[in-house]
Amino acid sequence: MSKKTSYLILAPGLVLLLFFLILPLVSVIWPTFYDGGVTFNAYLEFFQDMYNVGILYRTIKISLIVTLISILFGVPTAYFIANSPKKWRGLLMSLTLFPLLTNSVVRSFAWINILGRTGIINNLMLASGLISEPITLLYTEFAIIIGSFYLFLPVMIISLVGTFENIDTEIMEAAETLGANRLTAFIKVILPLSIPGVIIGSILVFTGTLTAYTTPQLLGGNRNMMMSTFLYQNAMALGDWQSASVIALIMIVTTLLVMKVFNMIAAKLDKRGEKYA
Amino acid sequence: MSFVDLEDIRVSYDGKNNILKDLNLSIEKGELVSLLGPSGCGKTTTLRVIAGLIEPNDGAFSVDGANLTKVPVHKRNFGMVFQSYALFPHLTIKENVGFGLKLRKESKETIHKKVMEMLEVTGLADYADRYPKQLSGGQRQRVALARALVIEPKLLLLDEPLSNLDAKLRINMRLEIKKIQQRLGITSVFVTHDQEECFSISDKVAVMNQGVIEQFDTPEVIYNHPKTEFVARFIGFENFFDLTLVDDHTYAAGDGSLFKTAHTWETTQKVGTIRPEDITILSKQSGPAVNTIPGTVKVRTFLGKSYQYEVETPIGKLLVQDSDETTYTSGDEVSLYISEEKLILV
Amino acid sequence: MRKQRGLSIFVLLVFAFLCLPLLIITVTAFGEQPSIQFPIEGFTFQWFKKVFEISSFVDSFFLSLQISSLATLLALAVGIPAAYALARYKLPKTAWLKSFFLSPTVIPGVVVGYALFQFVVVQLQLPIFQGLLLGHFLISLPYVIRVVGSSLEQLDFSIEEVAWTLGCTKPLAFIKVVLPNITSGIFASFMLAFINSFNNIPVSQFLSGPGVATLPTTLMSYIEYNYDPTVSALSVLLMLGTIILMYLIEKTLGLASVA
Repeated sequence: MSKKTSYLILAPGLVLLLFFLILPLVSVIWPTFYDGGVTFNAYLEFFQDMYNVGILYRTIKISLIVTLISILFGVPTAYFIANSPKKWRGLLMSLTLFPLLTNSVVRSFAWINILGRTGIINNLMLASGLISEPITLLYTEFAIIIGSFYLFLPVMIISLVGTFENIDTEIMEAAETLGANRLTAFIKVILPLSIPGVIIGSILVFTGTLTAYTTPQLLGGNRNMMMSTFLYQNAMALGDWQSASVIALIMIVTTLLVMKVFNMIAAKLDKRGEKYA
Repeated sequence: MSFVDLEDIRVSYDGKNNILKDLNLSIEKGELVSLLGPSGCGKTTTLRVIAGLIEPNDGAFSVDGANLTKVPVHKRNFGMVFQSYALFPHLTIKENVGFGLKLRKESKETIHKKVMEMLEVTGLADYADRYPKQLSGGQRQRVALARALVIEPKLLLLDEPLSNLDAKLRINMRLEIKKIQQRLGITSVFVTHDQEECFSISDKVAVMNQGVIEQFDTPEVIYNHPKTEFVARFIGFENFFDLTLVDDHTYAAGDGSLFKTAHTWETTQKVGTIRPEDITILSKQSGPAVNTIPGTVKVRTFLGKSYQYEVETPIGKLLVQDSDETTYTSGDEVSLYISEEKLILV
Repeated sequence: MRKQRGLSIFVLLVFAFLCLPLLIITVTAFGEQPSIQFPIEGFTFQWFKKVFEISSFVDSFFLSLQISSLATLLALAVGIPAAYALARYKLPKTAWLKSFFLSPTVIPGVVVGYALFQFVVVQLQLPIFQGLLLGHFLISLPYVIRVVGSSLEQLDFSIEEVAWTLGCTKPLAFIKVVLPNITSGIFASFMLAFINSFNNIPVSQFLSGPGVATLPTTLMSYIEYNYDPTVSALSVLLMLGTIILMYLIEKTLGLASVA
């Protein structure tokens, strides 16, 4: 088949993407650089306002925390799943996938029930006399963190299970026969080999938290805005297209930068400069 | 008490079926013992029990008088070479070999010295800074061996270490393993399903079947005097026929023909067996009166240096290998002579 | 496997963390009090009944079904040929083209929604429905490219060439020989794209208007003003839907295909 035909087959997709993704993006981003001439004022203004910078900082901070605790809890869990007997593995994978495939509104709503003023935690602590009046858990950064962690932990686990399954079990045994106890063998051998999976999982969790809308909207409230809720507020509630577009570009750039950084970390940790077998 | 002792080892994964059934094995210091058997016979399980990778349900395992049954794998100080080599892909050859020493908290200089010595011995000195992926199969095999030996283990365990190599390399490597083993005088256990490999390398062989050791002896004894029908079949005896004791050293086959034997047998041993190459094929009605039976050639196959005949006889179909110049063709009437010396009862 | 008690307890806690919040929702859906409480008092199905009485839930459910099905089908129609061209022919810029087709995954959902809203609804003055459909098409396309693409990469294209030598035209060979051998990839990508589209919030949030709102956005705005067990009941129904889909996937492809 000729080149021409194959481009013809690709054409509908290319046209649709160009027209309804690239063109719309350009049409909202371009005005942020144009004000009678090319200018970066919109961005300078954004970064001069501490309120804006605070939201960007909070977004990145929360994403980083969520990624780190997802690694912390995801790695042992995925390792356990990958080494479980087959029938158990199926069940555990289903239990991991189930929350992932459940609507994010439902999953955030679950935490409203737990963290709210009349939620389970407050009820429990009041009943046990630990506190005398409800404490504020909902609409805090903590709520966003725990909600996002809940949202993205399955993503981390699933990215890692495959990686662990691909590591030859004899490698772990070899380390043990050489005198490493379980923990040492895991840290010295299994962990370094799982880095590609950790990186993939981290990219997904970090960018996921960075751009998630539902969780900060439902659990963060107006005082704990993140970039995505901030964009929505500017665009739909305030009608400030200029600011919304500035936020949009910053979000895109941050996402791409994060991917770049993670890939650089991966390349640095993987001394052989190639993927593990 | 021997250097290595396995006493009544029982292993079961589901509590019902035993992978190993009250297995006993004693290994003397400096010996290389092979565990030989078909897949699923329990040989790898036995090795893994010794390594500490499997805890037996019952029984005791000791080395040098110390009971190690409950000692975890990482405290046993045995070197093990895995079938897949199990090299650490993220570490260089030097780091792979030094892994065990580093865990033993040896000084950097000592580690470097010992590792380089071992790489020298195994002919890997030029590859010290490469990664496992950049080596050939034979080289990886040597790394695995070097890594197991550098920790100066009490026991060297080898789990089918040659099965991933091509035929020629396999023969070189097994010679090399034997040389290194003898030079270091290290007690070794070698798992294999290849009898030629096993006989060439071992001081003693344990032939295993369905979780028990059928025979444990030197390669020569096992080759010439298999104790059970399973062992005989596994090492190349192909002719089997029932015998009844009629007189001292004399047995009768099903059709009444008599066979004398040069050896003394237990009363439980009632099946005669002989290798195809140990039967002599003669023209019709020649040969002595005893130990000879008539037959008809059914199939002749050319094997290169000899012919194989499938001969129909009153005691069943017998396979004969013969390199004599006189050949027989299908339909020829012949006599088969089974020597007193070579006839084995199992 | 040998015993690892510490790890087992850790993993048990992780799974408790993953499952308990959803279990709590399920329990609260049956409480009799007008606002959500846990533990519940009494037992009733009235909140499930109420879900079906709220017309915006019912309407938006059907709209969601419609949007997700149409968008996913459109993504398949456009994406399968594209994935085929990318896998089959070594074009000079294959890698670049592929990442272009996957680009909707690197653009944050809110940005996609916002840009589409601005462009399609504000500038082109097209109905919101079209904008919503386009948005869902965009987020579905990468799944098709990726999943169908990987089944195509595992396909031995000599079977297609054999069909040509036997007198099949190229389009016919594609339909008769290539498609039947990538059905599981197509089905898997459909499922993935459909579930993601159905659950999507960020894109849908921007592209909703009078009479045009997906079920998740409707539920989300309902939660912002109400705190009654109706939400729990609807959540339970949505989870039941998830379970049915997971069961379907497990029976046909195995869950591993979407993990």
